[in-house]
Amino acid sequence: MAETFPINIWINEERFKALQEAGLAGLLKEELAGMKVMIVPCTEPQRDKILKLFPMAKYDAATTKSIELLPKYVKDKLYEMAVKRKTLNVMDEFAAGFEKGGDAFWNQDIA
Amino acid sequence: MELIGHGGKPLVERVITDKAEAKKKIAGLKEVPASRQMATEVIGIALGFFSPLQGFMKKADVDAVVQKMELADGTLWSIPIVYDISDKEIADYGIKAGQSVLLTRNGNPMAIFEIEEIFTYPKEEMAFKVYGTKEDKHPGVARTYAYKDKFLGGKITLVQPPKIREPYTSYFLTPRQHREKFKSLNWQRIVAHQTRNVPHSGHEWLMKHAYIAAHGELPVESMEVMGKAISGVLVNCIVGEKRAGDYIDEAIVLSQDALKKYGYFREDIHMTTMTFWDMRYAGPKEAVHHSIIRTNLGLTHHMFGRDHAGVGTYYDSYEAHRLLMGIPKEKLRITPIFVLEWAYCPHCGEVTCIGLCGHWKELQKFSGTKIRSILMDEVKPTRLIFRPEVFDIVMDAAKKYGYGSPFVTPEYLSKAAPAFSFEPL
Repeated sequence: MAETFPINIWINEERFKALQEAGLAGLLKEELAGMKVMIVPCTEPQRDKILKLFPMAKYDAATTKSIELLPKYVKDKLYEMAVKRKTLNVMDEFAAGFEKGGDAFWNQDIA
Repeated sequence: MELIGHGGKPLVERVITDKAEAKKKIAGLKEVPASRQMATEVIGIALGFFSPLQGFMKKADVDAVVQKMELADGTLWSIPIVYDISDKEIADYGIKAGQSVLLTRNGNPMAIFEIEEIFTYPKEEMAFKVYGTKEDKHPGVARTYAYKDKFLGGKITLVQPPKIREPYTSYFLTPRQHREKFKSLNWQRIVAHQTRNVPHSGHEWLMKHAYIAAHGELPVESMEVMGKAISGVLVNCIVGEKRAGDYIDEAIVLSQDALKKYGYFREDIHMTTMTFWDMRYAGPKEAVHHSIIRTNLGLTHHMFGRDHAGVGTYYDSYEAHRLLMGIPKEKLRITPIFVLEWAYCPHCGEVTCIGLCGHWKELQKFSGTKIRSILMDEVKPTRLIFRPEVFDIVMDAAKKYGYGSPFVTPEYLSKAAPAFSFEPL
């Protein structure tokens, strides 16, 4: 299986309900005493693109093996896109949307 | 009363508190502006956090620290405390050995510097011997390489106490004030928790582990009554140079104190204070330096966890423990408490020590990165992992002091007021 470089999006109760309705709740992983985390997978090229688009982010190769330090608004958009598309495989669409729209992307509705 | 600090030597207190006397002593002295880094060290020296140092190190001390991890007189010491200066500054200010100058901070008088020696020291050697690497990716090495070409050695005397801003005012105590507080609490044993983090329950359990270990064979009977504790935990937060992505100091100090405020520790066994120090991330050598500071604060024990004060992969996880174990008791003068990680075990349904729990494969470790990710997503963690009141305090601090973030951002770095300042005399 190809290695993935995930983005962890932590889920509160309100979001958990929305994910249940989207049929995605089963894809959540439980960590740290029952906290729920949505793991958005990235391929290596997707990881590199995200790190280039958001230079404040880092890939934590030492401990979590995940892409960390993405701002909340970035993760909020990823979450919104995953719920709308009912899939966790949203990275290409997400990156393309940001590259096309720039900062306006954060205020655009997901069609 | 003379107090005894690190090395069995008198606690250093070099501060003039009388304004008229200070004005008289600084009259006619050349003024030399000091950087934030140097001002931080001045406070550490003059108030006794770095006892027995009475000033910035001279060459013999620097060389002994670098080569042998001790001062020229044989006192244990691990990190050089130096005042760097360029040839141009020496010429511009007309600095000469044997003179005193007035160090200023933001134009206000800070300290009298009795310059005894102007010297050079090979920076690469200093970096390698102290940090174990020559790579400038290491923050301590980078700081060393950034030193200007000359060093000034000599005694320091603050001409006024530093003014501490809120919310730190009540958390900053001098070594003497720490000791007075411990006496008023009737604490016989005090264990230090060194931190630059907001506390998750893994940290909380490390403190409890260290507290129980430090209390040891002392009686417990009186402790059934609130207010009758005879030992305590001191959370001594390091406040100093920040890097983007660190927790903001305000969130660290206030959230550590919240553990007592909301009853996770009894109010008679827990205390939060702060020390000004720029982390060097020197791992084992920094562990020794932290021991020295906490000895000067009057503590009897010091907790050391995994990868104490390390960075990246420069030090082995338990290298600090091994270095401390090799130092004779009469030199260290504080008892180290070595602790293993605590983790959440879903099988036990509790936070437990990884050295005790047999469900090795099921343990969910507290990764600092993971906790930061949860806080960045503003999702309130489960109470077993992160106390809800502590979370609220962190988020409040983010709004009040961090420009919306509990982490250091470029905005925080450019706009946050310094934790200490000096006023016109």
